[in-house]
Amino acid sequence: MRLKLAIIAAVMVVATACSGAAAPPPAASTQADIDLTGPTALVLWHTQTGANAKALQDLIDKFNSTNGKQITVTLQYQGSYTQLYQKNLSAIQAGALPELAVAYESFVADYMKADVVLNLDPYVSSAKNGLTKESLADIYKPYLDTNRFPQFGNQLLSFPFTKSLFLSYNNEDILKEIGKTAPKTWDEFEATSAAAVKKGPDGKTTRYGWAITINASNFNGWVLSRGGSLMSADQKTVAWDQQPAIDAVTMMKRMIDNGSAYVPKGFDYQTDFGTAKAAFVQESSTGRPFFVSSFKQPINWSLTNIPQKDPAKAATVQYGANVAIFKSTPEKQLASWLFVKWFADAQQTAEWAVKSSYMPVRKTAADTDTLKNAWKTDTQGKQAFDQIGSSVPEPNVRGQQDIRTVIEDMLNAVVAGKVTDIPAAVKAAGVKANQILKDNQ
Amino acid sequence: MTPVAVRATRRRRILAENLLAYAFLLPAMLILIVFHFAGGFAAVVMSLFKWDIVPGAFRGLDNYQTVLVGARAEEFWHSLSVTLTYTAITVPLEIVISLVLAYLLFQKMKGRGIYRTLYYLPYITSVIAAGVIFNWLMNPSYGLFNQVLELIGIGPQKWLDEPRGLLELISGGALAGWAAGPSLALVGVSLFTIWHFIGFQVVLFLAGLGNISSEYYEAARLDGANERQLFTKITLPLLSPTTFFVATIATIGALKAFNQIYVMTNGGPLETTKTLGYEIFHVFFQQGRIDLGAAMAVLLTILILLFTLFQFRVAERRVHYG
Amino acid sequence: MKHVALGGVAIVIAFPFYWMLTTAFKSFFEATTFPPTLFPQEFHFENFATAWGDAPWLGFFRNTFIIAGAVTIGELTTSILAAYAFARMNFKGKGVIFMLLLATYMIPSEATLIPNFVLVTKVMHIQDTLAVQIIPFLASVFSIFLLRQHFLSIPNELADAAKVDGAGHLRFLRSVVLPLSVPVLVTVTLITALGVYDAFQWPLLVTNTDAVRPVQIGMAQFRTEFGAQYHLEMAAATFVIAPVVVIFLFAQRYLIQGVARTGIRG
Repeated sequence: MRLKLAIIAAVMVVATACSGAAAPPPAASTQADIDLTGPTALVLWHTQTGANAKALQDLIDKFNSTNGKQITVTLQYQGSYTQLYQKNLSAIQAGALPELAVAYESFVADYMKADVVLNLDPYVSSAKNGLTKESLADIYKPYLDTNRFPQFGNQLLSFPFTKSLFLSYNNEDILKEIGKTAPKTWDEFEATSAAAVKKGPDGKTTRYGWAITINASNFNGWVLSRGGSLMSADQKTVAWDQQPAIDAVTMMKRMIDNGSAYVPKGFDYQTDFGTAKAAFVQESSTGRPFFVSSFKQPINWSLTNIPQKDPAKAATVQYGANVAIFKSTPEKQLASWLFVKWFADAQQTAEWAVKSSYMPVRKTAADTDTLKNAWKTDTQGKQAFDQIGSSVPEPNVRGQQDIRTVIEDMLNAVVAGKVTDIPAAVKAAGVKANQILKDNQ
Repeated sequence: MTPVAVRATRRRRILAENLLAYAFLLPAMLILIVFHFAGGFAAVVMSLFKWDIVPGAFRGLDNYQTVLVGARAEEFWHSLSVTLTYTAITVPLEIVISLVLAYLLFQKMKGRGIYRTLYYLPYITSVIAAGVIFNWLMNPSYGLFNQVLELIGIGPQKWLDEPRGLLELISGGALAGWAAGPSLALVGVSLFTIWHFIGFQVVLFLAGLGNISSEYYEAARLDGANERQLFTKITLPLLSPTTFFVATIATIGALKAFNQIYVMTNGGPLETTKTLGYEIFHVFFQQGRIDLGAAMAVLLTILILLFTLFQFRVAERRVHYG
Repeated sequence: MKHVALGGVAIVIAFPFYWMLTTAFKSFFEATTFPPTLFPQEFHFENFATAWGDAPWLGFFRNTFIIAGAVTIGELTTSILAAYAFARMNFKGKGVIFMLLLATYMIPSEATLIPNFVLVTKVMHIQDTLAVQIIPFLASVFSIFLLRQHFLSIPNELADAAKVDGAGHLRFLRSVVLPLSVPVLVTVTLITALGVYDAFQWPLLVTNTDAVRPVQIGMAQFRTEFGAQYHLEMAAATFVIAPVVVIFLFAQRYLIQGVARTGIRG
């Protein structure tokens, strides 16, 4: 009897809990022009740790003390990106979302299932609180494009926050030693990598050309640099399962087999680059300080675009996360937007770029003393900045996280020697990815 | 007293005992019902609906169909086979090793305290910290494991990044497919698990050994029993409640395995370490498919339930309670 | 012979700790040379300071100790009572309730995270507190099961003697069962406290601010997105493990004493 009662009680608890799940307030139409009266407290969920977290806190403190509208932003660290997603997913069930959260594009697409993400278009275009035409044009187009979601009526659902791009780290000392320059095309890259290989007296390789980092974004970068595209025009199927990908994967396999490339674990590519165990690493521009800290002796190095099929039409992949605003009250929404807008201002984005090594989101950030001074020592930071225009966003469709796994599994299978027919493996991955897209419609 | 009065007294006593027992159970049951049973019940509910980020239409058993024979069948059965392999590797080894170690440690001997402390160390190390250490030991470029392999003339291995089977590697690629055996990565995770839990099981066995009255041993010694007979005729039977407990807990733990995977490999490489526990987490919290994750969780619970019932049926008959 | 076997296993088991400790003292460059050095060439004590300065560890440790203390005391109490009922009392539905209990233990906790999160957030409103990290763990099927196994093995003659003396269940529990169960009680205490010390998924989900977060979140926080600092990770792992080792060394003594005592009295 007691047991029955207990079960009934448990059912009721669960039922109450579930019934109220995921019921966000109705969408506010145009509330971008209201006035803020009285204090507004906001919470921002993020993933930054260590020095970056301190830098972010400094900027937040500055905003809190200077915004003049009694807006207070509180930072809350919520783990890695996947852990942050996990928290947001749970918070959606309980109706306990923060006002703002850092998010990848595919996260935003998922959250939109629950219709909890604020459309920023009315705020951007608000005469009173928005951005001027010039100011909007000053933000790099690919950084805005990635936050527009074709599947949700092309709305602007998030705003650039921690941006970077996929570039080639080149050890210039090695290049000088073998009489080469940083390769511009993939053919040059392959030849230069082979030339950089050095073997010890025991026949073991002591220096490789290329330390390969297996990652879906990097794969996307290879495809883009070979003139391929990632999604079909209607966004219903992937487009990376074509010849550019086959060429890229075939080259990777060929270079592993002939001993000019290898796959290090985790972040070891940084150490290997720093100890001249590899001449090239292709990675995010944001890793710069970590590379530098692994240099035992100073190394001459450069940061250039990844090799291309046609350097005149250079393209690479855009990395990094954005910030989304969740629907709440008109006041909190506006206050959140004002913070996001402030953070993307030239001065702030420059400061954030210098302290965190992410890319500034505005062109005019280059005119700030902050960046000019920083680039005197961080020459590679300037080299990366000059490539932003060539960076292309990754697909922002639902299911992209699973598609990433499909791509990475395919690459890892090739590396492990489990694939005999690379074109077939690429095509098969494409079929799997298209099924994921279909399941997520 | 009349027979009626006796019966009434007995009834009252039984009633009193019943009430007292329920009172003893109440605090624990309250917490368990609210946080475990209700949660499990909610999982059953979630598995009956379309629940993709947000709850949708009632779908009956459709989610189970998707998981068992539909679009998710391949990954479900794959992770189930990983789970069973992992359980088959870890549980028997853990029990045998820890039983032997505990028995040796229980003897009066010099340095017993030091040994005990050393053996407990892995278990008292948090999984996250221990996972960090093992990742470091198994690092393909800078790790200690490869250094040891080099000393005995074996080439460097990729350990947690190696999707190829153990037997495939040993046979130089001759054995493939099913015969390739568990991936080296899964072997690595299993080594970590055994290392981590040995101390835990040694603790349990030691407590069990402590509960065996020394009089039994003294009596047997007087009867002229030797060490080996003491172990097989007294220790093993009298320790059987503990052994049964350890076996049950270790099996359930292995079938639910998640933390080790989360810390060590995230299910990779090529999903060769993706246990069902990790798959459920992945479907729930990385794909937002609460419905399918819940269905998988219910299926895993049923599987564990069957395993445990089997263990109870087969083993408890042989378990000897004092 | 025995020492060779025990010693050999001990070395294998303890070596990862040696490796952790020595790596924690190495410089970044020494930690990433191959073949590795078995002993640090120079000691970099500042690694610990750097790792310690990276997160509000002091608060994390305080929170963890409060949570672990509360959970251990509470769980021990509820588990002793329940286990005693299952082992030594007769009541209606005993078998069914025990199986139900075991069944709840089999539910993968990943499946109950979301319902429990909704419960503590929407119904109980205790998210982001220490309490939310304590209350759900005030009972444990594992502990009940373990204690039941040991209570069952207490000789029936003792219970009969107590009954003749007119002792009720509470008195029998207090004066006979508990003193006879010291080793297993120490074991449960240890395992419970360690379980709390190790908790990660639930605290991550239900806490938002460092003020109430436990130590494992600090450990997780340590891994950055773009680089791994093995020597600093090992330094952090060292001081995360250290308090447990110290506490264990104290508990270990009682454990042996407990074993010895029951050996004589049993």
